[in-house]
Amino acid sequence: MKNVKNVNYWQIDHQIKQIVAIKGVIVLPILEAWEKFEWVKLYFKQKPQEGYFVWVKKQINFPLSTCITIASPNTIQELMNFLVIEKRINVKAIVNCNTQKNDLCGKHIARGKLILKDGASLEYNHFHRWGQNDLVNPDYEFFLEKNSNLIYNYQNLFPPKDLNLTTSIYSKENSSCQANFIINGLNSKINLNETIFLDENNSRGILKLRLVGRENAEISAQSKIIANAEGVGHLDCQGLLVDRRSNISLTPKLICKCNEAQLTHEASIGRISEDQLNYLRTRGLTEEEALNLITTGFLSCN
Amino acid sequence: MTKLIKIESLFVETAGKKILNGVDLEINHNEIQALLGPNASGKSTLAYTILGLPNYKVKKGKFFWGKKEISKLAIEERCKLGISLVWQSPPVIKGVTLLHLLESISKTKFNNKRLNLDSRFTKREINLGFSGGEKKLSELLQVVSLKPKLVILDEIDSGLDIKNLENVARVIKQEFINKGVSVLLITHSGTILKYLQPKITNVMVDGKIICKEKDCLKVLETIKKYGYEKCKKCKLLAN
Repeated sequence: MKNVKNVNYWQIDHQIKQIVAIKGVIVLPILEAWEKFEWVKLYFKQKPQEGYFVWVKKQINFPLSTCITIASPNTIQELMNFLVIEKRINVKAIVNCNTQKNDLCGKHIARGKLILKDGASLEYNHFHRWGQNDLVNPDYEFFLEKNSNLIYNYQNLFPPKDLNLTTSIYSKENSSCQANFIINGLNSKINLNETIFLDENNSRGILKLRLVGRENAEISAQSKIIANAEGVGHLDCQGLLVDRRSNISLTPKLICKCNEAQLTHEASIGRISEDQLNYLRTRGLTEEEALNLITTGFLSCN
Repeated sequence: MTKLIKIESLFVETAGKKILNGVDLEINHNEIQALLGPNASGKSTLAYTILGLPNYKVKKGKFFWGKKEISKLAIEERCKLGISLVWQSPPVIKGVTLLHLLESISKTKFNNKRLNLDSRFTKREINLGFSGGEKKLSELLQVVSLKPKLVILDEIDSGLDIKNLENVARVIKQEFINKGVSVLLITHSGTILKYLQPKITNVMVDGKIICKEKDCLKVLETIKKYGYEKCKKCKLLAN
């Protein structure tokens, strides 16, 4: 990773390489936080072994960043990450999880708990970059307290062999969230389970998926919005199949337990049209370059 | 003198349907020609065949780029030779800005101002929500950036108001004709011809060029008077 000197928490394999303390932000190894703060124990069933604890207590004017890397063959990471944003604080975070080489056969298991207190705001930019034989299994939970706001951008343009990604967002009164998942499925088995719970009145959530299936990819996404109170939710799931050997399965699900909630969804899976390919080829791009450009465009669609 | 492009007795099918039935066409360096014809006469098919689109199967005939036979060449290879097309109905490419595409394909640094374009225009997604005039200008901007030797303009004058038409004609003159680029103007209305005066005007009916005439206004007058259906009987054809 470039500019590592500014990374607040940097771990390679199981070793913490760097922790950068900032005024108003506590950054600790999760085990140390677990031992130090009793309330942290409430969030974890087991004693955590590795991962970060970041507690933002005062407003900061630059992004928080973390980087967790696999650098040695057959490494198995079992992380527990914890991020707390105090009341009315706005934070932008850049979170990188990656491998240093394409063929390390690593395993990255991450459990995350992220808490946004009353009126807090978080833009969480989560970038994954894996090798062709890695197994990756993140399970993140976001707890949105009253009036808080979350933007979660998950981007994975270099997927592992096997990705199991679970995301749950619990929304309290007047909170809002938008979760965007951008995944370029290249010869990879991908299983997504993401759910927004609209638990209190006037909570709002949008889930947006842009999934590309290429080179034997097998993608399955179960996206849910569950309205337990008066809230508004929308699912927008779109897949693009680039070749005949890949497949994408989208299952958008809306569960409404309150008659004043409003839930909507749209889902589609398309393919690249020959017209688009030919058009770009008449501009001098090869078929491969044209495919890459169209795919990049699809994944960058707002 | 070597022709820039020479097409000999070209027969083309698409989706099992015969479209071109023996087309002969030669275009020299630094020459403007027009190709007139009614809808579905095969004009766009000829353009797509010259570009090498895979759905247009050459059943018979040859075409040469200089002395090189190019009917087996891939689309992008033909583009690299210098053959470019301004599409009549270009597709939308979502999420890709015109600027991104121009940066990917440009042989030289492009300049918005020369085409009277707002710089915000190139930051829009390709053809998404473009008006008719914007589509034509976007097409021209892309083709200009490729520095072509032959530009095929497929129905460049369709759906344009007079102001846009004049602007498009100005760009064609400035960027192609004044620079010695050969141009094949495909049009069924012929509106653009009064701005660009081709050296030869070809008329295509039922997949065949049935008339080649130097005076484009004479051809337009004849078509206006008799219509394309009666083109085969006109005096110009007899000549």
